[in-house]
Amino acid sequence: MANTWGYGAMTNSLGDIQNAKAIIIFGANPAVNHPVGFQHFLKAQERNNAQMIVVDPVFTKTAAKADIYVRIRPGTDIAFMYGMLHLIFKNGWEDEDFINDRVYAMDDIKAEAEKWTPEKVSDVTGVPADKLIQVTKLYANAGVGTLIWAMGLTQHSIGSSNTRLAPILQLALGNMGKEGGGTNILRGHDNVQGATDMGCLSDTLPGYYGLSEGSWKYFASSWGVDFEWLQGRFKSPEWMGKKGFTLARWWAGAINGKDGNDQIHNAGTGLKNLFVMGNGITSIAQQAKVKEGLDSLDMLVLCDPFVNEAAILTDKQDDVFILPAATQFETSGTVVATNRSVQWRTKVVDPLYESKTDQWIMFELAKRLGFYDEFTAGMKIKENKKDFTWPEDATDEIARIIKTIGLTGWTAKRVKSHTENWHMFDQISGRGYGKMKGEYYGLPWPCWTEKHSGSPVLYNTNRSVAEGGMGFRNRFGLEHDGTNLLAEDGSAPKNSAIEGGYPEINKDNIEKVLGITLTADEKAKIGKNWKVDKSNIIAEKCMEKGLAPYGNAKARAKVWTFPDQIPMHREPLHSPRADLVKEFPSYEDKSNHFRVDTKYVSKQTEQEWVKDFPINLVTGRLVNMNGAGMENRASKYLAALTPEMFCSINPDLAGRHGIRDGSMMWIHSPEGTKIKVKAKYSHSVTEDRIFIPFHFAGHFQGEDRTSNFPAGTAPYASGESANTVTNYGYDIVTQIPETKGGLCRIEYAKEEA
Amino acid sequence: MGEFARLNFYCDEHRCINCDGCSVACAEAHELPEYISRRKVITMNEGIENMEYSLSIACMHCTDAPCEQVCPVDCFYIREDGIVLHDKDKCIGCAYCLYACPFGAPQFPLDGAFGTKGVMDKCTMCAGGPEETNSHAERELYGQNRISEGKVPVCAAMCSTKALLVGDSAEISDIYRERILSKGHGVKTQPYGWDVAYGKKM
Repeated sequence: MANTWGYGAMTNSLGDIQNAKAIIIFGANPAVNHPVGFQHFLKAQERNNAQMIVVDPVFTKTAAKADIYVRIRPGTDIAFMYGMLHLIFKNGWEDEDFINDRVYAMDDIKAEAEKWTPEKVSDVTGVPADKLIQVTKLYANAGVGTLIWAMGLTQHSIGSSNTRLAPILQLALGNMGKEGGGTNILRGHDNVQGATDMGCLSDTLPGYYGLSEGSWKYFASSWGVDFEWLQGRFKSPEWMGKKGFTLARWWAGAINGKDGNDQIHNAGTGLKNLFVMGNGITSIAQQAKVKEGLDSLDMLVLCDPFVNEAAILTDKQDDVFILPAATQFETSGTVVATNRSVQWRTKVVDPLYESKTDQWIMFELAKRLGFYDEFTAGMKIKENKKDFTWPEDATDEIARIIKTIGLTGWTAKRVKSHTENWHMFDQISGRGYGKMKGEYYGLPWPCWTEKHSGSPVLYNTNRSVAEGGMGFRNRFGLEHDGTNLLAEDGSAPKNSAIEGGYPEINKDNIEKVLGITLTADEKAKIGKNWKVDKSNIIAEKCMEKGLAPYGNAKARAKVWTFPDQIPMHREPLHSPRADLVKEFPSYEDKSNHFRVDTKYVSKQTEQEWVKDFPINLVTGRLVNMNGAGMENRASKYLAALTPEMFCSINPDLAGRHGIRDGSMMWIHSPEGTKIKVKAKYSHSVTEDRIFIPFHFAGHFQGEDRTSNFPAGTAPYASGESANTVTNYGYDIVTQIPETKGGLCRIEYAKEEA
Repeated sequence: MGEFARLNFYCDEHRCINCDGCSVACAEAHELPEYISRRKVITMNEGIENMEYSLSIACMHCTDAPCEQVCPVDCFYIREDGIVLHDKDKCIGCAYCLYACPFGAPQFPLDGAFGTKGVMDKCTMCAGGPEETNSHAERELYGQNRISEGKVPVCAAMCSTKALLVGDSAEISDIYRERILSKGHGVKTQPYGWDVAYGKKM
């Protein structure tokens, strides 16, 4: 997404889905994972006669509400989307003007799409050709359509190609920058967008600034610390710019290449300590490796309101620390919703018992490690204070520093006023009235200045920049292979001083592009470019001229720095179609991928996996739980809805293995691991696949480990973790695990005497 | 709520997504034992294409309540607003009301060494029982009394898609009529944006 048009975030909002005329959902199950947000889908069906199409390997609760359900083979979304594009181009359903003015390299897509005839698509995806034609005709001609996805599209070895082709499909139909359109990625947990925006990633500083020296220097000066001091914290200067380990494969760092495990590149040492703050690491792929990683650590610290089951999983006897963290109700501060809007959360009660807030734990840790003053310096800068007020000064610090995604307008005062006056905003458009007129609820980013309205629909040129309009971001240069990458004439946001495209604004081009003359004072204050302009002069001047500080460019269908310049179908590493593995092999193995050597084609061809593991394995969520399920399974009533770990299995498949409804069964993975779960007959899955939820933990490969819980802390429900049997496989760009398209073998589990 | 209001539940089949928000909210609010399901979401034909649908079901607070008619000790009483309640001190736990109820609403305890049935428990529409309103005794026997505080029953308040409606039957039918009438007429929303441009007085 970010590599297509500038930002990797939901473009519209849940409420805006009500404006859609058609809704297509790939690998998302909002009826289960976003039950409250799902009301907007249902309202779109009711009020707008919107047709809802659900493309999923499993007949989900969302599919139960769909007008058309498409049962797809796991990991073949690219083939399906190219099939749609094939028909769109063949029938002239594309938006030619939009493509010409605002998209680069769509011709490359067109050439690839030509190969994907409905018959070919049917062979690869398992979707009948007439269903593909029906879906495409409906979606392309319904009027504005919204495209929804979640982890079912991203958690593949080709996840980063999936998430490029979905936007390309929307670009081809001209569905971007429109109310009721857009690519609406549903964030899976509270504040995921906020955590991502704040750089809880191993390859970037907060605000997606990356790890370049220039970015570090900007942050050093913004935090009020010496760059040299920061640099000195690293083993040597070059490590400052290197990507770290990811959540998906931190354990490889701890195992450090022992016993034939993947080799790491970590300055000659393995990971020694792990500090986990509110993360259910028992819901991460390859649980047996997670256990091995935990067992290899010198020290493990777990901070959670409930006991993190990593503590139960590990055999480590010493130096495991469980810190009681407070919940969201026991502290206050901002949270960012899936649509890039911010809210203030107020404390309900003081932290209970001996629990402490996350920030308390962080501050105390910084004190013990000896950098508390540096850690907190940034909060005092704005008003040159002696001490800071939490969390207001932290919020203002974020607003002061993060320009890339336009958080300048998110001052604590403004955010609070929105939350306090939430009743003064329209529920669908987010448009404020009364004293909130001129602002959208939660100031969806980019919110360029302290007066800006926020931007409810990204890339919408029918609005002025001041009211949240913008073109695509100029992020990939001015031209490529001799083609202009800026938007063509007539595609500028409303009230723009420039008719067509323009580059991102910096100190050197501002006078020329905007046609203004800066005063000597402004020249002295202005930053090098819009991303590091602490004075915010660039943004303010841009607002006056109706320009977006980040420019107005074309979205790109081709990413020339990626292994696949345009998205290409590649079979999952563990594919049930040995013939297609030969036709669509995975990538070459990748060395030093987030510090870990990662296998692709060598794993895919290690053996013909389907011979021994003939069943597709799909994991997903249950409505009563989230993540690793720690807090949900500790709730009596939520646990009672699904008290045991289970596997949804088609009666025909189960019958062939002598597995009765309610009997126990083993699921074996290609990695040699296994889990013992209860069979639940279900027609939601076909005979070639099973579905298991990933919220359980406490049991491991048939062994009940709940006796490891400290007295009185065991949850009401425990069970095998689905991720003990999810397969090896990681995305080529992001390293997200391939949990949505693996293989397995099943057998009846005999009752032990 | 009018003088002649009769309180009803209604579950919109198109809206219900089987999230169980209602049943969990109910159990949590009234601190029910885990074997008591005052409210339950029932899904039919689960997993079968074009056939699956769900409804949330509890006591429907019938006008001519069969439970009240068959009870041998006459423990039921129907309030003026139509809420059907019962007196646990009178109830003998015979389960005759369960035979009579078309919805399977009456619930019986499963505790005790020999699975004694104990007295019946059911949805009170969050209106408590015959004990003094909002007293400790009422709370212990029947759970919260939200109606006395002017609050919507907790199940409908928590419903994620507003499938489950509760209130004066006239108001419920107005809400449902509006849903039906607005079908296909587009979204009722204020337009995006304002007429005045940036920086000028709003």
